[in-house]
Amino acid sequence: MSEPAKPDPETDALFEIVRQRYGDRLTPEQLDELSRIVYAQVEAARALRSMRLTNADEPVQPFAPYRAEP
Amino acid sequence: MKADVLFTPLRELGGLLKTRKLLPVELTELYLDRLERLGPRYNAVVTVMREHALSQARRAEGEIAAGRYRGPLQGIPYGAKDLLATAGAPTTWGAAPYKDQRFDVDATVIRKLEEAGAVLVAKLAMIELAGGMGYRQPTASFTGPCINPWDANAWTGGSSSGSGAAVAAGLVPFAIGSETWGSILSPAGYCGLAGLRPTYGRVSRHGAMAICWTLDKLGPVAQTADDCGLVLDAMAGRDPRDPTASDRPYRYDAADRTGFRFGVITNVTDGCEDAVAENFARSLGVLRKMGTVEEVTLPDLPYEQITRTILQVEAASAFEDLIESGGIAGLTAPEDRYTPYARDAILAKDYVKAMRLRGVMAREIDRVLSRFDALVAPGRINEAPVLGQEFRSAIRATAKDVMGAVGNGAGLPAVCVPNGFGARALPTSIQFMGRAWEENTILAAARAYQSLTDWHTRHPKLG
Repeated sequence: MSEPAKPDPETDALFEIVRQRYGDRLTPEQLDELSRIVYAQVEAARALRSMRLTNADEPVQPFAPYRAEP
Repeated sequence: MKADVLFTPLRELGGLLKTRKLLPVELTELYLDRLERLGPRYNAVVTVMREHALSQARRAEGEIAAGRYRGPLQGIPYGAKDLLATAGAPTTWGAAPYKDQRFDVDATVIRKLEEAGAVLVAKLAMIELAGGMGYRQPTASFTGPCINPWDANAWTGGSSSGSGAAVAAGLVPFAIGSETWGSILSPAGYCGLAGLRPTYGRVSRHGAMAICWTLDKLGPVAQTADDCGLVLDAMAGRDPRDPTASDRPYRYDAADRTGFRFGVITNVTDGCEDAVAENFARSLGVLRKMGTVEEVTLPDLPYEQITRTILQVEAASAFEDLIESGGIAGLTAPEDRYTPYARDAILAKDYVKAMRLRGVMAREIDRVLSRFDALVAPGRINEAPVLGQEFRSAIRATAKDVMGAVGNGAGLPAVCVPNGFGARALPTSIQFMGRAWEENTILAAARAYQSLTDWHTRHPKLG
């Protein structure tokens, strides 16, 4: 799992969500590991965000309207 | 009853049953005995379904005697990964919090196999919640780590761990597994078996535990590629109870063909163990006897990040209640008890971006695959991991697996078969990945490969 080489404000902000929600259940060691996982997630998100798409590039999973049959 | 029918290919086994040289009840008794006697050795079994199995076997025996032939699986025992609902037995999802869970219906796959005359003899062990919580070592199951029949110090792979162990140890002739990212190809590859990941939507997921609604697939683990085709023929088809199950008809075509066109992704063996790379290079020599082999470069896309983001978010949502309630503290693997909390920090917009990029990925890979019958690659980057140690995984970004990311992210079929042994004398494998709905093409390629090699005829010493 990669680690931030320098302070990363986005990771810090997102990790704070995790800490606020679940911090009372977690040890300092677990919180430290979760911080590294959040950083890896942010890195993955940055790779996704770096890709340019067109307005026509829809999510692949189509939504189907539902109507109960009689 | 002789034990020499163990490891007999399904087509041959079905022939013996059809001609009444072998009887379903005696065959079922053989496997029930092995499951009860040897299953604990491998931590492979959750529930042996003795009474249920003998009832189904007696019915098959009566039907065959009466001339009512259902097909090549009639009277053949099998095991199901314990994420498939079965009325009359617990369905534990491999996880302690669900160890007493029961459903009053059978999963569609279980029902279809029953219609084909197959005999369900056992629910098989699996990684808890099919690995969706991010496990990183083999003990992540309330039934213990599945032990590889080739080496008592090695893991089977996962998450369809019991499916791999049980088939490799001759506890069942075939088994059903599931794959979200690697969960069929991993145990099949590590245990020296054939494993088929069908196209997403080829097989109904109704009654199967969901980890990731847009990634989950069900498929067979068996001795040969031909076995996998015969089982898929019985499993596939539309199902009004699963809207993602395709209307496309499927019939297994076992006709031989020649003149295959294979593609190999540039540097696909980077990161593989030396023996895996060497065996793959030797396999390419075999494939050149079957057709052409051409190196290909994939478009530059963040394949692993796309599939990983989708998996992490959907799995966290599928088990939202368990995670937010703190119920994950009841899971077996220490890391599964808290690492899922990190997924609350993945933004919705990034998930949607991954789903949009997934469409680009699917179109790009189909464009590449349109020139080939299959892309080929090592089935796994290594021999089976050692028990008691953490393993590397592309799902956690500690290993590379572009084939797995593309194949699962784009919902493409792949079959793996054994192609040699590594430095620790454990099986290595080769995978064939095809265009969507081209199971027959990749199975034909894998069958042709197996007709020129004998790796699939080798079995572990079982004692």
